[in-house]
Amino acid sequence: MGAEIVTVSCDTKFVHLAWRTIEGELEDVRYRMGADPTGHVARLFGVYVEEEGIALRGAFLISPQRVLMNAEINYLNMGRNIEELMRKFKANIYLARQSDQALPAKWKQEGDLTLTPSARMVGKVRQYLERQQRPDRTTSDGD
Amino acid sequence: MHDETRERSPFVPTIQVGREVPDFRLETYDPKAEGFGELRLSELCQQGKWTILFFYPADFTFV
Repeated sequence: MGAEIVTVSCDTKFVHLAWRTIEGELEDVRYRMGADPTGHVARLFGVYVEEEGIALRGAFLISPQRVLMNAEINYLNMGRNIEELMRKFKANIYLARQSDQALPAKWKQEGDLTLTPSARMVGKVRQYLERQQRPDRTTSDGD
Repeated sequence: MHDETRERSPFVPTIQVGREVPDFRLETYDPKAEGFGELRLSELCQQGKWTILFFYPADFTFV
């Protein structure tokens, strides 16, 4: 998908090696496992739990321009939804190419309905969306 | 706990969505190369890549 995935915990790289080698569930892991034993990167992202020396479940999307485009942080025992993370990632890649578009809440993938914000659409989003859902809609610009 | 009487400083986030992230360096274990390495955020960005950083509490745990 053109992204560099890096996992990070406050374990050392040696523990990463041991875990990856021992745990069957990690057999297919190909991405790099970052080691942050001093917590400096976890602190940078606001996920370091000082009292325990571990990181919260944070997921951060950074553009090639080094801008933070999305952040999601779950408390310790709650797993993240990978489908939703992938959706957000795809959405950001799409919007980086089509910066005049806006993606409605239900957008899941390229090809789904988008909005092109304009003065004419102000206060008329519902009409626009309803027109787009109708099977007999024309291919005009819709706003 | 030895720091019971010390006041915890207020949480001051250093990153913000929509803002540039400071560069950082991480040592890594690379399962593809089966070896240790290092990465820098600035290098990944120079290569034109999007980066997904995925933090989790600890190895050898369950979720």
